[in-house]
Amino acid sequence: MSIRAPRKGENYELSVDLNSEYREKRKDAIKRTIASMTVGKDVSGLFPDVLKNMQTEDLEQKKLVYLYLMNYAKTQPELVILAVNTFVKDTDDPNPLIRALAIRTMGCLRAEKIIDYLCDPLQKCLRDENPYVRKTAALCVAKLYDLKPELVIDNGFLEQLQEMISDSNPMVVANTVAALTDIHNAATAQPSTSSSDPGIFTITSSILNKLLIALNECSEWGRVAVLNALARYVAQDEKESEHICERVVPQFQHVNGSVVLAAVKVIMIHMRNVRREELIKQLVRKMAPPLVTLLSSPPEVQWVALRNINLLLQKRPDILSNEMRVFFCKYNDPLYVKVEKLEIMVRLASEKNVDALLSELKEYASEVDVDFVRKSIKAIGQAAVKIDAAAERCVNVLLDLIATRVSYVVQEAVVVMKDIFRKYPSTYEGVIPTLCANLDELDEPEAKASLIWIIGEYANKIDNADELLGIFVDTFTEESYPVQLQTLTAVVKLFLKKPDSAQGVVQRVLTTATKDCDSPDVRDRAYIYWRLLSTDPGAAKVFETLLEELLGEISSLASVYHKPEETFVGRGRIGADAVRKGTDVSDDRFSTQKALQTVVAGQQAENLLDFDDAPAMEGEPSGLAATQVLSQTPAAASLLAGTSNNPLDDLVSIFGGGGMVVSTPAPGFGFGGGSAGFEAGLSSVPATPSMLAPQTPAPPLQQSQSQSDDLLGLF
Amino acid sequence: MSPVDPLFAFAFIQTFIDILNEYFGNVSAATLKDNFDVVYQLLEETLDSGGHPLTTSSNALRDIVLPPSLLTKLLNVAGANITSSINSGSGLGSGPFSSPIPWRKAGLRYASNEIYFDMVEELKAIVNRHGTTLSSIVQGRIETNSRLSGTPDCQLSFTNAQVLTDCAFHPCVRLKRWTDSKVLSFIPPDGRFTLAEYRYTPNHASTPARFVNTSTTPSAPPLNTARDNVPIPFALKTNNELESNGGNFNITLTSRLTTRDIENLVAELHLGEGAGGIKCVTARGGAADRYGRGVEGIGASWAFDPNKKILRWEIPLVSPSSSWSLRGSFTTTS
Repeated sequence: MSIRAPRKGENYELSVDLNSEYREKRKDAIKRTIASMTVGKDVSGLFPDVLKNMQTEDLEQKKLVYLYLMNYAKTQPELVILAVNTFVKDTDDPNPLIRALAIRTMGCLRAEKIIDYLCDPLQKCLRDENPYVRKTAALCVAKLYDLKPELVIDNGFLEQLQEMISDSNPMVVANTVAALTDIHNAATAQPSTSSSDPGIFTITSSILNKLLIALNECSEWGRVAVLNALARYVAQDEKESEHICERVVPQFQHVNGSVVLAAVKVIMIHMRNVRREELIKQLVRKMAPPLVTLLSSPPEVQWVALRNINLLLQKRPDILSNEMRVFFCKYNDPLYVKVEKLEIMVRLASEKNVDALLSELKEYASEVDVDFVRKSIKAIGQAAVKIDAAAERCVNVLLDLIATRVSYVVQEAVVVMKDIFRKYPSTYEGVIPTLCANLDELDEPEAKASLIWIIGEYANKIDNADELLGIFVDTFTEESYPVQLQTLTAVVKLFLKKPDSAQGVVQRVLTTATKDCDSPDVRDRAYIYWRLLSTDPGAAKVFETLLEELLGEISSLASVYHKPEETFVGRGRIGADAVRKGTDVSDDRFSTQKALQTVVAGQQAENLLDFDDAPAMEGEPSGLAATQVLSQTPAAASLLAGTSNNPLDDLVSIFGGGGMVVSTPAPGFGFGGGSAGFEAGLSSVPATPSMLAPQTPAPPLQQSQSQSDDLLGLF
Repeated sequence: MSPVDPLFAFAFIQTFIDILNEYFGNVSAATLKDNFDVVYQLLEETLDSGGHPLTTSSNALRDIVLPPSLLTKLLNVAGANITSSINSGSGLGSGPFSSPIPWRKAGLRYASNEIYFDMVEELKAIVNRHGTTLSSIVQGRIETNSRLSGTPDCQLSFTNAQVLTDCAFHPCVRLKRWTDSKVLSFIPPDGRFTLAEYRYTPNHASTPARFVNTSTTPSAPPLNTARDNVPIPFALKTNNELESNGGNFNITLTSRLTTRDIENLVAELHLGEGAGGIKCVTARGGAADRYGRGVEGIGASWAFDPNKKILRWEIPLVSPSSSWSLRGSFTTTS
């Protein structure tokens, strides 16, 4: 294999120097070789020359040679075999650094042939007198398991690791836990894992105590490993949960943000079993300061922290109730940080601080970044919906903003006003003329649809409602579908309120919609599907479970995406299918899976939104799976059962109720807000939706997506 | 594979950068290139190939990866081999990782025993356009440089410890002592390290909420939250006139301190895309000046960074209650 380099050129010179009789010259040559390797030159031809330098007293030189070996082990394993003897010999070296280095490097080589030589030295190193060697060896076991699990099991390394949890050195304990966790993850990732798999790392209460002791003494990274293991532990009783919480709380004072978040995770998980109100209060109070401290970090760390805070606030709104000011946006915060801060500020809004919030949001609405301005205006609407007492002030701020006549500000404000009208029906009618005056400036579908909704809703209060709606009916076919749907509904409402004057308009719009419209949705039963997918009364509960699931993942990627791990790691795409096979397990488990399923479906919907043609989507199995989820839910069931003779009556029952969409402040994720209000209307929806759903899967999904965005936005 | 906690990754990267800074003084492409062998070794020692951070305490690292120094270079040139003589010592006794305290080297000896503490505090505030302070936070840290022999047990007590809140400590600090008696008790690592980070919370008795009254929006609630705002030592007022392709600005900075100077004050103004053609005059004075007219700002200067679009205004010394101004114009391309 080793083709000698020609007797000239760089490699030849290196080869000469590597064989030099002077130690310093050889060492320098190794450095140069590594330098060439780093910039991508092929120096594999120097392998035998480099190998000669492996046996040395000089640790630095040894490290460099090992580095060279690691680099070529993957491509030329047969060469590395030549080095095995030296490795094995090094694991017996009197210097612990060399022993550890040798065992660590052997673990990294990942060459099948080397592995067979690894077991004996590893056995020795696991029992080494030096803790540095032991902790290095512990991690090596995890690497071996990754390559050849049966070797680890046959050699009894797992039992040895279990024993090492009792090691006197906390760093060894931490690394052992990390190794066992890695093995556990690898073992459970196998589809055929049984609960008796030897790789599974069950934490017993005796292990628990050892972990709690090691926690305070090991390095920051070790603490994260131990804390993650503690998060997996299932406490026997309330007392044990309390004990864990009390022992973990001091970790909040660690400088390392990842330790803090891992500790928050453990506390949130074990706090579920704590009943003592006083202790819970105390824990929650202690949780706030470290989270706030994280906000002085660089923006990307801040963002991760903010995402996690956002999640925590949904479960424990009281954590940061006095700290809203901390989340005020700085002018130089990146947009992603600002947006997250906005969301948190709205969550923290209360009657006490809403004035400060509003004046802040008003400032934001005059900034230059369009996205941020829009989000700020949305936040004003959310505050209005959340806090009854502040609604009027919010409306006044919105009016100020509309007066600026900046196009996107006005449009967004109109959309937000619609939401406020829904929450507080017939309260702010005085605003309507101002809104209608801006009719010509609206060019975005959402803003148009919102204004049309308002006109339809208050048709009897607006003298020229038929005229205004007439404008939209004239351009009906040119409008986007949401606008068409909204026009349709608004005109029908107008007709119901002013049957005499609106007859012509309603005739016209129904004719246009049925004859000239190319969307089956609009044509047939658009107005029914408008609220269909958000009416699952089980949804509120489903999302409660999802939140629990996510809280268990604090500090991990899942908490950042706000989606459970299964939906984006590995099996994610087929998550829905994978989940379905387990439906026969217990009830609680089932609801978790349903939550996952819903999220997966939601994700599909998000992806589907990228495509415009319906046929492409019909082939997407998970899209259909998503519709199946629905047919399982009680609302859909009652929907299937419901029959009606007169579609117009249904319209009244759906839309007549007006502002019911946000009738209840839903717990948790806020999906279920609309459910209570809609049940009545839906039980009498005309039959055969189940037939329609598969035929036109795209539009309902699209609807549901925008609808759920809408609803989520409100909470 | 399970996904890594994102903060874990960020924290490690930051730690590694800190280590590089400590080894090389600064981190740049050139220093990395010159010392690539040391960087490689550091990576090897700090991060395991499976993603587990290993040794990141600089005290322990210095034992196993020698920092480049003039001395080692000289010795290398002279042909002596200091590395091997240090590293080949047998594991027990004085070798690496033999210290019973993971963050501290064993067997240290200094001729003069010294330990230095620097308290570095940063005030971050948001002020609205009327000059009202919306939020201000002081974040501080205690930077320590320890040069003590043996295994010293230190105690650091504060006369007014209750102003330090939300503390985060180096692992060497005994948390229980702090919780019980607000005393920092610790065995320090050797060399430079950050002993603690904290948030400064003003003492309620001594600082009445004086900024409440300056609020210009009458509806604003009093700022009687648990943490009052910390007063900002200066006021900045801007007066801008915008035109279609540029504008004028007039910025006044007034010190609110009555007895002390502010040194090396730098104001940075972010001008945004397309800004250019900056012309400025900086001056000291205003109505309060006793010469009756604006005196040319002594030592004050301004500069514009066309890449970052940042206008920098530097004043080396702001005397008590003095007032400074920066007047100028800019043009925009868009």
